Amino acid sequence: MTLSAKASSGPVPLVTTAGEDLCRGLGRWDLWGRLGWLEVRRRYRRTVIGPFWSTISLSIFVAALGFVGAGLWNQDTHEYIPFLAAGMVVWLLISALINESGTLFVANSTIFRQSRFDYSILVYATVWRNFVVFLHNLLVYVVSVVALAPDLISPVILLAIPGMALLLVNLGWLALLIGLFCLRFRDLQQLISSLLQIAMFVTPIFWPPESLRGRVGLVFVHFNPLYHLIDIARAPLIDRVPALESYGISALLAVVGWTGTYVFFRRFRRRIAYWS
Amino acid sequence: MAAVVLDNVSVDFPIYGAHLSLRKALFDRATGGIIRRNETGHHRVVINALRDVSLEIEEGDRLGLIGHNGAGKSTLLRVIAGVYEPVRGQTFVEGRLTPLFDMLPGFDPEDTGYQNIVTSGLLLGMSRREIERRIPEIEEFSELGEYLALPVRTYSAGMVTRLGFSVATAIDPDILLIDEGIGAGDARFAERVAARTHDLIRRSSIMVLASHSDALIAQTCNKAALMDTGRVLAVGPVPEIAEMYARRVHAASHVPAA
Repeated sequence: MTLSAKASSGPVPLVTTAGEDLCRGLGRWDLWGRLGWLEVRRRYRRTVIGPFWSTISLSIFVAALGFVGAGLWNQDTHEYIPFLAAGMVVWLLISALINESGTLFVANSTIFRQSRFDYSILVYATVWRNFVVFLHNLLVYVVSVVALAPDLISPVILLAIPGMALLLVNLGWLALLIGLFCLRFRDLQQLISSLLQIAMFVTPIFWPPESLRGRVGLVFVHFNPLYHLIDIARAPLIDRVPALESYGISALLAVVGWTGTYVFFRRFRRRIAYWS
Repeated sequence: MAAVVLDNVSVDFPIYGAHLSLRKALFDRATGGIIRRNETGHHRVVINALRDVSLEIEEGDRLGLIGHNGAGKSTLLRVIAGVYEPVRGQTFVEGRLTPLFDMLPGFDPEDTGYQNIVTSGLLLGMSRREIERRIPEIEEFSELGEYLALPVRTYSAGMVTRLGFSVATAIDPDILLIDEGIGAGDARFAERVAARTHDLIRRSSIMVLASHSDALIAQTCNKAALMDTGRVLAVGPVPEIAEMYARRVHAASHVPAA
């Protein structure tokens, strides 16, 4: 007899709460680690360099825009290119994850329509997979910094680790929230991807945050949550300590974001199977 | 003791973006759950897939679900499996659920046979060690040999079925939920499938099977439930329920529709 339930307790209600889902899902690292990893492996299949293709296109982009941008904003190429590379690598992580979150539940319905399932596993798998792709892209930053400005590498770079961790925590709730909304309202996916394209230009990724002053700078730099999320991971890569403001806003985003997402998830978790 | 209890379970599927004319929906229809507009909403269409279903399934029960297409058999199985949480009512379960529906969960044609065995096994609730232990058995039963190391997209349809069946039946079942007969493959394999299915059912403590095959239900079940438009009309011994179903089908074909 292979009863997993306690023999004495009798039949238990077959319901999963949002909290159980999130905690138990996190504990199934064997499963989400595998789901995320296999997806990376699939990109390698039948291609020689697999995910490094995106690394290559990123490096061409950084090299080309590096010279244009350095001229546009009167920057020193040796400092501007590592800045651009670090910013783009972090931005690609954020934008790829937000884009993929739109199909988080839509694309994986074959998994959860077969058996009882903790949906958060899909969230963890997506964040994990995108982190692995990020590590591929990070090569562009490493090469540019070593080749152009090796003096940017200092102990400050270690701050990138907590910054990255805080960013990933934020990406977690973003993936879940966007996944939920896009499952119910299928148009949102299109809206989000077009907004992302605009966000890339109005967020200081190509241009140095200091170059925008006055009220415009306030709106697109200081009031821009994306800037703070990017900078806590990017600044240490170019030998700068992120502003306390950026840490504060990113931490606040994590708390508010997860709270709001939890409320939605608790309310709509049981509807996911119906909506898909 | 394994047990499944359904207490007044109802399931409604919201249909978004379906501009159904209600008139058209009411006539010319012999199958499916009740389609109706949401009482509160204006344009939302809702299908009542299960209506106030109460059912008690005990240790040793092999329950066959009988009913025409869209009677709610698959939905009922998926409620027991925990895929759908009922809109009203509650489900209680004691024991490990083993759902074997249309396909293996997490199956990806780009992955090799071995990779799919592990992914699906994990999703079906097996531990990694349990899966590793079953792999020789799966290799032997599926007879796929070296193909297991190749991506599943290189398999023929029959080979995919072999793999799926071998994995699904390697599990230690407790509460076994089966939707339709699990596929077979070629004739020689079909014989072994029948033997292994019976063995799997024998090892389970509860089995619920949805099937259109009277023969399969008669062979494997000791109880049957007759379903129609989302309701369970009767539960009882297989021959009795099967006859009731036959009578209804017969009656329906003589009364003009509408």
